[in-house]
Amino acid sequence: MPFREINSKMIEATVMPGQRVFSQRGAMLAYKGEVSFTPNIQGGQGGIMSMIGRRVANEATPLMTVEGSGTVLFGHGGHHIQVISLAGDTLCVEADRLLAFDGTLQQGTMFMGSQGGVMGMVRGQVTGQGLFTTTLKGHGAVAVMAHGGVIEVPITPQRPVHVDPQAYVAHHGDVRNKLSTALGWRDMVGRGSGEAFQLELSGSGAVYVQASEEKL
Amino acid sequence: MTTYPGAGPVVHDPMTLPSDDNVNNYTFCVELKGSQWFLQKGKMIAYYGSIDFNGIGHGRLDRLVRTSFHSPLHASDWVVAEGSGKMLLADRAFDVNSYDLEEGNLTIRSGNLLAFQPSLALKQSIVPGFLTLIGTGKFVAASNGPVVFMEPPIRVDPQALVGWADCPSPCHHYDHGYMTGLMGGLRAMTGVGGASGEEHQFEFVGAGTVLLQSSETLMAEQATGAVPHEPGVPGGGGTPAGHPQQPGAAVPRLPGQLGDLQRRFGL
Repeated sequence: MPFREINSKMIEATVMPGQRVFSQRGAMLAYKGEVSFTPNIQGGQGGIMSMIGRRVANEATPLMTVEGSGTVLFGHGGHHIQVISLAGDTLCVEADRLLAFDGTLQQGTMFMGSQGGVMGMVRGQVTGQGLFTTTLKGHGAVAVMAHGGVIEVPITPQRPVHVDPQAYVAHHGDVRNKLSTALGWRDMVGRGSGEAFQLELSGSGAVYVQASEEKL
Repeated sequence: MTTYPGAGPVVHDPMTLPSDDNVNNYTFCVELKGSQWFLQKGKMIAYYGSIDFNGIGHGRLDRLVRTSFHSPLHASDWVVAEGSGKMLLADRAFDVNSYDLEEGNLTIRSGNLLAFQPSLALKQSIVPGFLTLIGTGKFVAASNGPVVFMEPPIRVDPQALVGWADCPSPCHHYDHGYMTGLMGGLRAMTGVGGASGEEHQFEFVGAGTVLLQSSETLMAEQATGAVPHEPGVPGGGGTPAGHPQQPGAAVPRLPGQLGDLQRRFGL
């Protein structure tokens, strides 16, 4: 795994010749050795078409390519960092939460409506994810930022997990998610519990939840 | 002091507070026994005992300031604490740690230094925004996340640098390799593609230690004690926008109240 957690807010990545790491621009804290940081016009992998796709989907965060040989420390804004290692499965995460990820991972964009149709689009609006989300697939590690500490909640087929949409960070595995509502007359008169919308995740995998309802 | 999960909060009194040690990761306790400490303004959160806080530039403290405070630029940000008692220092929920110097030197970002013993001499560093401490003694510094110690040679983002010790030559390093060549020229001319934000670093070589933190960026300022602005929460931030309160209305209207209907009905 190229990422080593130094403390809850800092990770160390080892870069070797021929390997690439993508990271958010300005997230480098320090480095040793000969490492170059090149701003990435395409905002990640793939050709021009995937770049256009990301621009249209508003999932184009400013990324940079880190190449060379040495070690790099990453961190951003004092946010907590969670390193997630993927073994062939797909991670769904908002692009602006990505701190750094392996160049070997395949980056893509997913339309929220493809999971659950109109309800999926509503879900995207409620969680602040918008209509699109970024997917990363393959073998490698991803460093994800969150406000407050992160806990990993496993999802098993028998036990679906309900998550506050604002505290949702990312999920991976074979997971179906849908928005469940608990709207009642109390919400209509402004006396709701404030927990009217929940994200229900079922299947098998894991969801990452931050200890704060604040966005990045 | 050990805490067990589920043991509840730890309650301290003047006897159990540590002396010149951390209370927890975010709070440091300094014990004063007729001694003096330099203290940055606003970093003291509580104290026991009788402690005086005097601004620097006070006539009585002239000698102390002359021997151990050589930074007129920062003089207005610092006070001298003296007396006897225990005081607690904290800063923006940053991690706080104390460091001991023995005939050494350490340079630190001026905003991250909380307090130091007068046996150390404070000087302005040649690098703007940094202060150098020279001598023997203890000082207290804050960092966003735990401090990471690194050995040179290393290049550091200026924002992530907390300080350095015993490094003779901090210098600037500029990386703009991607701006060269044909594509780089186009990029530099048109501005297409943007900058990586990592063109400028501080470079450290030689023997010493470099101190790093996660970021200098502050956490967003949160109003303390204010109730959230939400429906159903009484007193949440006063009147909503677009409904200016009448100047005559002395009683703030609670949410859920039926506007002026109630008054009209004499309720």
